Amino acid sequence: MAVRVQFENNNEVGVFSKLTNSYCLVAIGGSENFYSVFEAELADTIPVVHASVGGCRIIGRMTVANKNGLLVPSSTTDTELQHIRNSLPDSVKVQRVEERLSALGNVIACNDYVALVHPDLDRDTEEILADTLNVEVFRQTIAGNVLVGSYAALSNRGALVHPKTTIQDQDELSSLLQVPLVAGTVNRGSDVVAAGLVVNDWCAFCGLDTTSTEITLIETVFKLNDAKPTAISSTMRASLIDSMS
Amino acid sequence: MATKSETVKTKTVRIYELDDFEKLLKGVKVAACMLTESHQVVDEASVLKRLNALTLNGAADGNCCSCCGVGPFETRAQQTAHYKHHWHTHNLKRKLFGKTALTLGQFNSRQDDSSVSGSDSDDEAQNSKKVPATDLFAAATRHCKSFFTNHAGQVFCLYRCILHHRKEELSTDGDGSAWIDRCQRLLIPGFQRWAILMVSGGHFAGAIFAGGTPVVHKTMHSYVTRRGQGQAQAGRDQHGNMPRSAGASLRRYNQAQFLEHVQDILSNWTEDFIGCGLIFYRAVGSLNQSALFGKNSPIKRDDSRVRALPFPTRKPTYREVQRVHETLASIEVYESLEQFQKALISITSKSALKTGSDPSTERAKKAPKNSPNKGIDRAKSRERARRELPIQVTSSEDEGPCFIDSETPVGWIKALSEQSNGITNSRKDLINDCAVSDHVVTSEGSESEREVIQEVKDQTKKKKKKDKRKDDEKPVKKGPQKIPANVKKMWKEISGKELNSLETIIESWEGSDFETACNTQDPVDGNTALHKAAIAAKPDMVTQILSCGGDPCIKNHLLQTPYAAAPHHDTRIAFRLFQGQYPDKYNYAKSQIPGPITPELLEQEKEKKAQQKRAKRQREKEKQVEKIKTNKFLQLTDDQKVKSLEPRCFLCGGSLPKVPFEYESYRFCTVRCLQNHRNIRPLHMSA
Repeated sequence: MAVRVQFENNNEVGVFSKLTNSYCLVAIGGSENFYSVFEAELADTIPVVHASVGGCRIIGRMTVANKNGLLVPSSTTDTELQHIRNSLPDSVKVQRVEERLSALGNVIACNDYVALVHPDLDRDTEEILADTLNVEVFRQTIAGNVLVGSYAALSNRGALVHPKTTIQDQDELSSLLQVPLVAGTVNRGSDVVAAGLVVNDWCAFCGLDTTSTEITLIETVFKLNDAKPTAISSTMRASLIDSMS
Repeated sequence: MATKSETVKTKTVRIYELDDFEKLLKGVKVAACMLTESHQVVDEASVLKRLNALTLNGAADGNCCSCCGVGPFETRAQQTAHYKHHWHTHNLKRKLFGKTALTLGQFNSRQDDSSVSGSDSDDEAQNSKKVPATDLFAAATRHCKSFFTNHAGQVFCLYRCILHHRKEELSTDGDGSAWIDRCQRLLIPGFQRWAILMVSGGHFAGAIFAGGTPVVHKTMHSYVTRRGQGQAQAGRDQHGNMPRSAGASLRRYNQAQFLEHVQDILSNWTEDFIGCGLIFYRAVGSLNQSALFGKNSPIKRDDSRVRALPFPTRKPTYREVQRVHETLASIEVYESLEQFQKALISITSKSALKTGSDPSTERAKKAPKNSPNKGIDRAKSRERARRELPIQVTSSEDEGPCFIDSETPVGWIKALSEQSNGITNSRKDLINDCAVSDHVVTSEGSESEREVIQEVKDQTKKKKKKDKRKDDEKPVKKGPQKIPANVKKMWKEISGKELNSLETIIESWEGSDFETACNTQDPVDGNTALHKAAIAAKPDMVTQILSCGGDPCIKNHLLQTPYAAAPHHDTRIAFRLFQGQYPDKYNYAKSQIPGPITPELLEQEKEKKAQQKRAKRQREKEKQVEKIKTNKFLQLTDDQKVKSLEPRCFLCGGSLPKVPFEYESYRFCTVRCLQNHRNIRPLHMSA
């Protein structure tokens, strides 16, 4: 199910929230309307946590997260980190990283298994990323853009990338990520898809401007129509894949 | 100067010396450092490979890397290995800069080159591998001169502004034919008619030259600047409260006159300007520019012939205008690349030697020596940053303009010299391919792939080793050395259940410094002795450790201070008591301890709590009594209720308000009670 939502008259909901399969972060200080949309959808399955990073509300662009862990930039204060640690499930590893490219959400796109990163990302950060989020890391660009985190929205079931990605690149990315992938837009033609959309395995939130065509595309590629939060797609999947391969 | 004899004498050809210039232009080519690699030029091998990938396995499965021209991959492992390889990353970056991808062979040979980092290097080194090529191009395109070579192997350079307007970009793709066209055009006599106009500080100098000889010229001066303060009067007036002195008004008048005169001169030259190929000007500031381009001026600012002078000039005089013209028209010619290179080296080394002779730098050099005595007294001594002096323009009389300054990157020099080594004609980016010249390219995809995987394996091995090393280093960084056995023993005893005070540990302590032992952090969880005592809920021990010097501000790996880690109230109180006792011993602000407390206060607090408890008990008792009364009341019959001394609500037995709600003789505390009573009454009646 894809839901339209707005953060204080701003359609870039991916900037102000971070959604994973085991928790959701929303920016502090928004209107109650914004939270209630998230809470209505998610509160009975995963915790919805109000957070800020380094005093900023643009948590979606500053952090990178999946169900295994959360990376925050070095600007995060101790108090904020402690608050996030306290609010998230114990299984989620929270780690602060010293990275020159401090808007981690813009330079890293990831699901629970794979991460695409900016070609210039620090080697140390890459290692921390692999360890904390438990992902395989690939340096990539998307449609000639180094900001892979901004131009790709990933889940374990699908991916949406910058509309100008060539067919060849889409095929390659899809093959690399092992998920179906399409090029598309959100928010009535915005190409920064990750800024206009947050998605996990069973639901998505996009900006209020998103057209119904875009919604349909999102629901199809992320397979949201029949999706329910199930153990088979979240906790058991890794072991199933291991046993089947 | 000793260095002067070493400098290679360069020939200077003026553009208006037509014969020489024409000779020079024979077989002219744009120097390689000015060109970008054309996008159309694609490596044949990679094209074939990509075609193969398309035809053999179909592009649909995307099981290949179009960026590097590899694939199809046989296994997932191969695919991931390729995407993690540095070669792929390198090619990605090349693609971003609009360059063609390297084959694996090229990449490897480049890695052997010292300028490029090894495969497992830090990423600083990795960044540096991109630097020379882009830097070189950037520097060359930004330089105020453009570089050419001709058939005789001569290298010559001339000012960019002669060839094109600042806003007009000549294509640097391919062989730069646009540049050559512009060069050839200079031979036409019409293009050699230049106007040079300079305005500054009340001075005007202008001249029109045709092929090296002045056609008309004019200079003028009027008194407009404030000599003492060194600013134009008009500029001073803009800052508000205009001075009303005689001098000020004189200068204001002169300024107006000056503008008028300059505009007069320019309008007299209107027809001469029409024939001019180029118009150069120097006019800094809006005031000076308005003199040249003001209303009714025959020259328009957006005219593509109008160009600013690319080098600093002196006071506008006729001599200076002549010098400027000569400088603009001069072309530096080096007979061969070797000579060019030598000249560059001597110039760069000269700039190093120069520091000795140059008076200003000499001063700078001397200054640090004297600074302890003469310099400004500062609380903290600062190191003075060495700044490079601005480039000085040498006049054409003695040396000719120096077109390569100390800022010129050495890589560039290298590029030009590489050009002479046989690959002059290749249109490839010299720097990028200098290392690749004669490497055998491995063409079989599978073999190269295997190589990749092997390398990746090696890398991971190395990485592991590195990690091990890191792990070894880590504790060294954190603790003084390895954790001493006695400290470990102490931790164990603190965490254990038997001991409640530190005395036995201190008594049995062998070793030098108990304080550092207290502050040693456990590498596992970052806990100090104080943390451990706090977690084990031993208030006495906490107090003792604090008094022995255990710092309460140290945070463990969970970012908890000992106070925050303490699970029990008593332990926390111990911290606060200690703070009350020794308020200055530590910086408590960082320890998260909420505030000091004294035993008296503690006593008071206890008293308060006890009082509250007593009050609560009292209240509960009263409630109990009330309940019993209500129950009793409810058990009464209706008649008894009506007659009872203490009237209560008929339904719930609660106390009644001042004006109760009633119907018939029944009284109720609330409307709801009344309604409910009415609803159940018929049932009563029927029963």
